[in-house]
Amino acid sequence: MSNSLITTKMINTAAKHIRRAPYQALTAVLIMTLTFFVATLLIVLAYSTSTLLKHYETSPQVIAYLKSNATTEQITTLQRSLESDTRVKKVSFVTREQAMEIYKQATAGNPLLSQYISPNVFPASLEFSIKNLNFAQGLIDEVTKELAIDEVAFTASLGSSQNLPKVVERLTRISNYIRIGGAASLSFLLLSSLLVLLVIIGMRISSRRDEIEILQLIGATPGFIRWPFILEGLFYSTAGALLGWILGFLAVLYASPALSSFFADIPFLPTDVPALLALLGIILGGELLLAIFLGAIGSLVAMKRYLKI
Amino acid sequence: MIKFENVSKKYGSNFAIEDVSFEIPEGEFVFLTGHSGAGKTTLIRLLLRDINPSCGQVLIEGRDIKTLKSREIPAYRRKLGVIFQDFKLLLDRTVYENVKLATEIDGRTTSEEEEKIKKALEGVDMLEKSNLFPRQLSGGEVQRAVIARVLVQEPKIILADEPTGNLDPVTARQIVGLLEDAVKEDKTTVLMATHNADIVDHLKHRVIHLESGKVASDDSKGKYITRFKT
Repeated sequence: MSNSLITTKMINTAAKHIRRAPYQALTAVLIMTLTFFVATLLIVLAYSTSTLLKHYETSPQVIAYLKSNATTEQITTLQRSLESDTRVKKVSFVTREQAMEIYKQATAGNPLLSQYISPNVFPASLEFSIKNLNFAQGLIDEVTKELAIDEVAFTASLGSSQNLPKVVERLTRISNYIRIGGAASLSFLLLSSLLVLLVIIGMRISSRRDEIEILQLIGATPGFIRWPFILEGLFYSTAGALLGWILGFLAVLYASPALSSFFADIPFLPTDVPALLALLGIILGGELLLAIFLGAIGSLVAMKRYLKI
Repeated sequence: MIKFENVSKKYGSNFAIEDVSFEIPEGEFVFLTGHSGAGKTTLIRLLLRDINPSCGQVLIEGRDIKTLKSREIPAYRRKLGVIFQDFKLLLDRTVYENVKLATEIDGRTTSEEEEKIKKALEGVDMLEKSNLFPRQLSGGEVQRAVIARVLVQEPKIILADEPTGNLDPVTARQIVGLLEDAVKEDKTTVLMATHNADIVDHLKHRVIHLESGKVASDDSKGKYITRFKT
């Protein structure tokens, strides 16, 4: 018999098994759906927190305000020094006029606030971002000591330099909670799903013991007997993964406008549709692989336990 | 074809069969008789390689089947046709699908095989009922369907364990008649375990009689009948 015929026959047998006990099949698929729905949400959440942390780590953060009497040479030397520093990226010099423009844009809703202010009120500054937030405190201390520097501050999103370690620590902690908590809940759900699969395939094997005995007697190979059960397990897990992913996808689509609005400029989720689809596509691919692994393991363990051939 | 050499099978301290020796050449029809617990089913299970002997050798075509590796057993069993008292058809498949199963597991699915299936069903007079499910048939019809499945396998040996046990005398004779045809037409070796004295009496084939796990007699035609009745 050609392999394709074996496969078609075995798929038909597996489909017959599923049709014959629809409630067991439904239970298995629903449990798998729940698992993969939660998995999809947790992966998106882990991605988002990671993006959030990365955003804070890499967005422009430090503003070194220059003294009014700082010389061009001092400023140039400091700027070059920062540009050559491996911890630093995106160094830019902001003049008083540019600072004034930034202020005007920030207070555009209330023109009175900028109406009578001259550029002289604003100090010139050197703005730069840091490649890794862990370097921040040391770098700030170094820059503060420079003669040309009056004061060092952080962007509004992070508050003052005193808050920096706390913000980083809090974000790292939240990120870790999500990763560890997510991994723990996901493991629990995966284990439950595996057990449900194992019990259901085990029940299937028990209820078909006579059939298995007949097949053995007339010379069916172990593969001929086992494959329909393996295919059944794979069907439950992949169908569950697909449904769970679809529900997760819908939940993310539903929540993304509100999240985007809340996080404003921070790219909590990919902002353009192709990037979001790519992210969810990668999640689907990973989940399907996991589902195949789970289905195969569940079926094989059930067969090892209940099918002695 | 089939050779038992001093075969014993022990369960705990009890012998199911003890020091059994006999030989059955190709194309012979042999009855295996004895009371319940005499060891008939153990002997059939040994031939099926469902169990191994505690000592001695079971040889099929000169090969000790104990030496068969696990992966060789399915192919070995495909050379055997097995018929049981409790029919052993898949209840969720039609008669035709049940018969076809024998070719499917053997990897044979050509149109030639389809013809063989039809011929086998015709041979047991079940072609018209081939689309029915086992539950829709009488006991005799189910057993005829089993025989069709066995015939499609084209086995070298047919092992029948009380195949007429649940059938009325007329149907039982029809079933055994089908097995006799297999011997005549295809030189198939048949070993049939039975309690049915009428059939044994009527057909006058070689009889191996077991008592308490031992071969009490291995007679040629007719002698069994006298002893059975006394």
